[in-house]
Amino acid sequence: MTEQTPVKSSPSFFNNPRNRSIIYQILLFVGLAYFFYGIVSNTMANLEARGIQSGYGFLSTTAGFDILMSLIDYDATHTYGKTFVVGLLNTLLVSAIGIVLSTLVGFIMGVAHFSHNLLIRKLATAYVETFRNIPLLLQVFFWYFAVLAALPSARQSLSIGEAIFLNVRGLYFPGLIGEPGSGLVYGAIAAAIAAIFFLKRWAKKRQDDTGQQFPVFLTSLGLLFGLPLLALIVAGFPFVWDFPALKGFNFRGGITVIPELMALTIALTVYTGAFIAEAVRAGIQAVPHGQTEAARSLGLKESKIMKLIIVPQAMRVIVPLLNSEYQSLVKNSTLATAIGYPDLFTVFVGTTLNQTGQAIEIVFMTMAVYFVINMTISFLMNRFNESVSLTER
Amino acid sequence: MREFKPLPSQPAPQDTVGPIHWIKENFFSSIINSAATLIILALLVTVLPPLFDWLLFSANWSGTTQDACTKDGACWVFVIAWSKQFFYGSYPAEELWRINLCLIALIAVIASSQLLSKELRGKISIPAFLLLPFVSILILDGSWIGLEYVSTDYWGGFSLNVLLAAASIIIAFPLSFLWALGRRSDMPFIRSVSVILIEFFRGVPVLALFFMGSVMLPLFFPEGTNVDKLLRVWIVLTLFMAGYMAEVFRGGFQAVPKGQYEAADSLGLSYWQKTLLIILPQVIKISMPNILATFVMLFKNTTFLLIIGIFEVLSTTQTALTNSNWLGGHSTEGYLFVAIIFWICCYSMSRISASIERKLDTSHRN
Repeated sequence: MTEQTPVKSSPSFFNNPRNRSIIYQILLFVGLAYFFYGIVSNTMANLEARGIQSGYGFLSTTAGFDILMSLIDYDATHTYGKTFVVGLLNTLLVSAIGIVLSTLVGFIMGVAHFSHNLLIRKLATAYVETFRNIPLLLQVFFWYFAVLAALPSARQSLSIGEAIFLNVRGLYFPGLIGEPGSGLVYGAIAAAIAAIFFLKRWAKKRQDDTGQQFPVFLTSLGLLFGLPLLALIVAGFPFVWDFPALKGFNFRGGITVIPELMALTIALTVYTGAFIAEAVRAGIQAVPHGQTEAARSLGLKESKIMKLIIVPQAMRVIVPLLNSEYQSLVKNSTLATAIGYPDLFTVFVGTTLNQTGQAIEIVFMTMAVYFVINMTISFLMNRFNESVSLTER
Repeated sequence: MREFKPLPSQPAPQDTVGPIHWIKENFFSSIINSAATLIILALLVTVLPPLFDWLLFSANWSGTTQDACTKDGACWVFVIAWSKQFFYGSYPAEELWRINLCLIALIAVIASSQLLSKELRGKISIPAFLLLPFVSILILDGSWIGLEYVSTDYWGGFSLNVLLAAASIIIAFPLSFLWALGRRSDMPFIRSVSVILIEFFRGVPVLALFFMGSVMLPLFFPEGTNVDKLLRVWIVLTLFMAGYMAEVFRGGFQAVPKGQYEAADSLGLSYWQKTLLIILPQVIKISMPNILATFVMLFKNTTFLLIIGIFEVLSTTQTALTNSNWLGGHSTEGYLFVAIIFWICCYSMSRISASIERKLDTSHRN
């Protein structure tokens, strides 16, 4: 009988998971380092061969091109750094309008899916299925080249009450110009918002303590309109309307919305709205029907059921989806460049890059901006999500 | 003693059954609903007849030039005359069979993954899928296999959208799978590299990625090498798609019950055996609807290539609209036609994904 040697219990060096993971990571690191070394040295050589200086010095040189629309004072004598700011503000403007409008459209269409009226239900479904399945760029082109380009000329513009005009050059509506004393009104608006905030906290505390409800919504509405109105009367209406009027070949005065902005906003709103409608529908469907029935058997009114039972639970599903829809809306706003709306992409990556050739710096700055905007949206929406998410004890 | 006399049974109340009740319930259940119904009906009546008239009845269908468009309706002659370019771009007319061959091969490979038996599927379909993009490039380019060389400048039209989207998703599949695994890995360096890759390609606008592909990527290659524009676009699309798919796969991995991993471990399977044989099939099953949704997004986003000068279908339409023989303002017809093509493709894909979702739904709901 031969003595059996006991099986070695510790695995060989390479079969040990710890050693193996270290080897894998070292291999990946060496591979990546080699890859980046190659890229950097190639880029340096290429840049030198093309005679492009690297660095951010170009930001303080004169741009020398005009921008179609600018929220701040800008002309061709300003610097490339200023073009960056103009583009950034235009991007923020179209994103903000798009987010507000698409949320509105999305919620209306999402709730319409549960309407008692068959026609409304079918229309909501048709809207979602149509616009979700058509590329966004195509929709932008459709609004810009097929619809808005077919509007009448400035002389035959469509108008509402000689105050709002719509023609092929854009949408014109009256603007408010503040005169001395208007600061009081702005102050009143700020005070009203602060008052509503405290009122809400006080009302919640009172309900927790005594069980009595306070009509927060109506009071807030009253505050929001009452205080500024009072300030208006006290200050003696320090605002004048600036009406657009046809002078020569074009309208002057008032606020002008250029067709590029209109087309982009409509397309972004309609496209993102379809996705938000789907999110809202999914959120409401995720609330078990028993919740509605339980609320009804308690004798709650239908409007209260929606507000207190369904919407808070549906929001848990809706908010994370909204977060990603908002982020893709901001990213999709770069399509502005296809129709020439001067957003960050058109102005900075388009024209400025073409003129300076500083590809790396400009692409890097632009990506950083979109990253920061999206991180901000994500941060805000996550904060909001925490307030609506399920608290388990 | 009183006798029990049953009352005669009553007929069902008339207003809770039948078509009249259905109409009442669905259209006129309240005053607001009735008003909404009437308003919508009035809108439909004013909008739809002229629309259909323009689209179909007074439309111009026959002819070859713009002069044939004499009626007031849509000028479909424009779309018909350009249909070849819309679909194939400016690929040489006598070589079109090559594009068709690639499309048929794509359909055949997809069909094989559905029709073949389980054993053959793994051995034939998966390698065929992975080889397809490269074989298609060989066929379409032609210079390596003795056919007439066709430069990528001539590739275009809707077939380019389809083939590019398919080629990107096929290569993105294994890549995103690796990234998702990396993100779940215990190895800190591999995990952080995966997270950075995924978040970068998800966080940046796809247009910025395309610009990177067209203005920055050439700087990264050694001096003197000239990498084809379409190839760079393909790389960018693949990486973009991989970022999104990796997140889809991550969700799938998380949805597989922990017991499955433990059972595989207790059988003594190695990491790759466990991942490929036990986990991956379940992950793919769970993630299929989301994969299709991501694919639909990528497919729609191929139109963005217009901006960096690739002649995909939208770009071809723009060119056709500015052609000097067709300056009659046919943009509505052109965009409508492209929209309908995309709508049919994307809608059917979303239907397929919904049916897969229903088929795989083994949970017991009531």
